[in-house]
Amino acid sequence: MSTTRLSLGKYICGMTASLIIFLAGGWLILAPFALGYQPYGADWTYQAVNDFAIGIPVAVVALASFVLFFYSLLGSLRAAGVLVSRPRVQQPQEAPAQSQPQASAPYQSDLDRTLATLAAALAADLNSRRQEDNNQQTIPQLPTIKRREA
Amino acid sequence: MRLGDVMRRLIPPGSYVLFLLFLTGIWLAISPFVMTTQPSGTHWTTSTINNVTIGAIMMVVSLFGIVGYIVFALRDLMREAQAKQTAF
Repeated sequence: MSTTRLSLGKYICGMTASLIIFLAGGWLILAPFALGYQPYGADWTYQAVNDFAIGIPVAVVALASFVLFFYSLLGSLRAAGVLVSRPRVQQPQEAPAQSQPQASAPYQSDLDRTLATLAAALAADLNSRRQEDNNQQTIPQLPTIKRREA
Repeated sequence: MRLGDVMRRLIPPGSYVLFLLFLTGIWLAISPFVMTTQPSGTHWTTSTINNVTIGAIMMVVSLFGIVGYIVFALRDLMREAQAKQTAF
């Protein structure tokens, strides 16, 4: 029996990289003022404009990257069964009806087909026998021939 | 498993964003020279040192994130393949 190993290293790798780049973006925004190449009150230099214009998108995009890796991590934890998905709270009414088919999903189609064929054959056989019985009761004077169908 | 599924497992959406940040790091490192805010032949100014340093950090870290994810995902895929082989 194979066991599913939960490896979180790849997500932590991506989240760490995103976090470091997010901090770098924040530093880029602050750097012109912290390092003094953008004096307060003066017109903005090219370096300051460039750093500021790059720093804000870098911080935002790095945050988005962090969120994406975090959602991938959550999906992996849900797939491994560590986290339970939220919709289960609303499912108890449908759970008995749905849980059984989901559990035996691979066998469902073949089993259903076989049972449906068998049920249809039995129903047809039963109907034909009932019709024969009705015909024999409505014409009692005729000699009846008992037949049994295998 | 199809090639598309393998690629999807090796390169998640976050890695595309990290690649974008890698390109931004390249721009940040070369921007003082492209925008000629760094005079040629003189010592590097404070802003040039800052931009080149932060750009290099961004390039290295984003590459580390992309490659690290691929390495770990490849290891997981190989483990799954081995587990399937032993199951059969």
